[in-house]
Amino acid sequence: MLVFVAKRLGSLAVVLFFLTLLVFTLGKVADSDPVRTYVGVNASAEAVEAAREELGLDNPIPVQFGSFVAGAVQGDFGISLSSKRPIADELSTRLPATLELAGWALALTVVIGVSLASLYSRPGRFGAFMRFVFFSAASAPSFLIAMLSVLVFYKWLDGALPAAGRSSYGPYEDATGFYVLDGILHGSPTYTWDAIQHLLLPALAAAVGSGVALARVLADGISSSLGSPWARTARALGEREGTVLRRHALRNASSPALSLLAVQAGFMVSSLVVVEQVFSWNGLGSYLSGAIGVGDFPAIAAVCLILGAVYVILNTLVDVALAAVDPRVRLS
Amino acid sequence: MAEPTVLTVSDLTVTYRGRGRVVTAVQDVSLSIAAGRCLGLVGESGSGKSTIGAAVQGIIAADGSAHATGRIAIAGRDLTPITDPAWAQVRGRDVTSVFQDPMRSLDPTMTIGRMLNRYTGSAEASVAALERVQIRRAGEVLKKYPHQLSGGMRQRVMIALALAPQPRLLVADEPTTALDVSVQAEVLSVLREAIEGAGCAVLFVTHDLGVARHMCDDIAVMKDGLVVETGPAGDVIARPEDAYTQRLMASRITLTTDRMRPVGAPEPAVVASMRDVLSEQGRPDEGVADAWGAGDLEWERFMGRTAAVGAASGLTDVRLVEHVTRPSLAVNEVDKTYWSRVKGRKVGNHVLTNVSFEIGYREAVALVGESGSGKSTLLRIAAGIEKPDTGSVDSQGVAGEGTQVIFQDAGASLTPWRTVEELLRERIEHTTTGAGMSRAQMRALALSTLELVGLDESVLAARPTQLSGGQQQRVAIARAVVVPPSVLLCDEPTSALDVSVACSVLNLINLLRHSLGISVMFVTHDLAAARLIADRVLVMTGGEIVETVGAERLAQDITTDYGRRLVDAVLA
Repeated sequence: MLVFVAKRLGSLAVVLFFLTLLVFTLGKVADSDPVRTYVGVNASAEAVEAAREELGLDNPIPVQFGSFVAGAVQGDFGISLSSKRPIADELSTRLPATLELAGWALALTVVIGVSLASLYSRPGRFGAFMRFVFFSAASAPSFLIAMLSVLVFYKWLDGALPAAGRSSYGPYEDATGFYVLDGILHGSPTYTWDAIQHLLLPALAAAVGSGVALARVLADGISSSLGSPWARTARALGEREGTVLRRHALRNASSPALSLLAVQAGFMVSSLVVVEQVFSWNGLGSYLSGAIGVGDFPAIAAVCLILGAVYVILNTLVDVALAAVDPRVRLS
Repeated sequence: MAEPTVLTVSDLTVTYRGRGRVVTAVQDVSLSIAAGRCLGLVGESGSGKSTIGAAVQGIIAADGSAHATGRIAIAGRDLTPITDPAWAQVRGRDVTSVFQDPMRSLDPTMTIGRMLNRYTGSAEASVAALERVQIRRAGEVLKKYPHQLSGGMRQRVMIALALAPQPRLLVADEPTTALDVSVQAEVLSVLREAIEGAGCAVLFVTHDLGVARHMCDDIAVMKDGLVVETGPAGDVIARPEDAYTQRLMASRITLTTDRMRPVGAPEPAVVASMRDVLSEQGRPDEGVADAWGAGDLEWERFMGRTAAVGAASGLTDVRLVEHVTRPSLAVNEVDKTYWSRVKGRKVGNHVLTNVSFEIGYREAVALVGESGSGKSTLLRIAAGIEKPDTGSVDSQGVAGEGTQVIFQDAGASLTPWRTVEELLRERIEHTTTGAGMSRAQMRALALSTLELVGLDESVLAARPTQLSGGQQQRVAIARAVVVPPSVLLCDEPTSALDVSVACSVLNLINLLRHSLGISVMFVTHDLAAARLIADRVLVMTGGEIVETVGAERLAQDITTDYGRRLVDAVLA
């Protein structure tokens, strides 16, 4: 198992290297001059030259790439062209915001997936109706669900749930940046509950689509597991349907569901970019869309790298979980 | 009767409704089993035997597609089939079961120990349970997952699981059908000893009369949902009274079956093919059916012109070719290794080691061995589907065109969206014989071949999925011989078929071989079938041919330990 994990981490490094190369190349071939973005359209030729030197852009491209990689490894992504501040500083508050949202969204995906799956496999009209609802919900893009939920919970239900920002109170000093965790660490139930309320709508908007997809795969897996010869064996040994489901079918059905979850995690990262916009969530997504707007390539590169790393790490975790669930993966 | 009755089934009728049709699977069946007795429920597929097996466990699906009347009583408790909630009290306590497919009947995500401990109560009791089914090093086996065990081991675990709750009744549904023959004998004796120790009643569902005789005290023969004959096993086997039981008994192939004549009772489809063969050779019918029934119809009679060519070569006994001058198939010093990666290292699996043999004109050779002995790989190499690492294959026979294969699973070997006519035409078009033929000529050729295998014109337009298993196998044979090949390669062509269908397929292959002069390579794990078809039997184990024996006195002449084990495994 340890070797397995180590191997996956090794491939993580390789993937990240190529991602870095790709992002760096994109920055170089894109039709925008980073120096102009940095100094402004009206700057003098001398100022442009000075800035070019300051940003290290006068060096040969391989050297630029080398220092880019060296910096990225140490968490130094350079200076934002638009704000002129170190990107690492700007991201230090935004990364926890996005990770917190993504974590909640993933958890909600699993909750939605498992609970819908149990409804889905019901026979008869109710099951057919649920399948219809599933398809409708799964085909709706996340921004539509985001706006609908704002409409329902904020406007029509008179502010039942907050529709913008992360907290009504602002961050603690010297905190982790994960608001729910901060609230718990500081022993403030009000603060924690407020943070959770702020999280609910954006997490739900990001989770509905992938939750429905997960439910489908899980339900299919469960129904084929329940029809399998070993489920028949369990019944013949006197197990009741509920036990067959919990003890045998769920675990066997979870392998394909886990694989899907890994793919869905990738989609979720991209849907977060949109969802953060709708809910004014100061995370990586809104930072990224801001940076794209002004052609701030170092910032774009930094966010891409971090999201890429998160995605690969999630996939590694899923692979490990797969091996834990299915002994045939682990022992063959 | 001294022992109390454990199972009583009275007037059980089960019907299934599906696609607008109502099918009666079981009709007015009554039977009973006393404690310590084993009742064999014998019949071919579709006879309703498995439905009874499911009914006495109360596991017929209660989704409304099945309807049942009658009573079932288990250990004194009266139950209504299908709907009775009392089944929950009975199933897994008073009645448990062993199923057919040991590969998939155990949850792949659980260790044997975790499965077994739930029913035995403790790890020590589980070890004892495994020891009762003669598993050595039971402690280690408890830590394993099903996929780490062989088929025979898994089926032993299944038996241990089924006997763990100390049931009054054990239902064994074809428990050894999916296993290798030699493993089958082992598992059966394990099962027999285990149930004797447990003292429970056994309902043993099987299609195999040999297995039933080996295992059961009493036998009930089923056909089309009805029990046609019941009685003590010895009586039913030795003196069958019902016509169907007699047919079933006649279809059994043993190591003493007469090889010179067709096996089983005369079958209309095969008789029709025989008439076709004779009329093609310009000879009269001569009452083939009567001769077969009377037991004096020999294969010799169907030797055609091609046989005359062989006879003209100066060989006295054409069928036993002693001096092969021009073999139809020559396999020379073939080696084959499959490579795979295990933990990053390349690991070679040596499948065939220096294998050489020849099959002469009109000769039939059988390759016998267990799964993993390399016999199927050898067949694929002989067919040119795979290339040997070293060595060569020469299949330029004197008669016929190329090699053709009949696979075990005929259904899967026929392209599902093509009609039978298209399937046969495909083969015809790719031969020199068929190169210049018109559509109409090809159709006529296809039709006459279908008649030869006992199918009629209506099959031409059908697709494989619309045909029964036996019909599919006949179509596969027709495709293989529509343009006679030099060598016909058969990969377990009968092991998935019911005995009576298997019988007619074997008869058909024998007929084609004698009338068309085709050489046959017959790969099987069934020694009795091998002996029936082949002149010589090659015994394979571990990728090598360890012995070559003449077929007639196979049981006496075989000398290697491995070969003897195969002989012992044939349950007569």
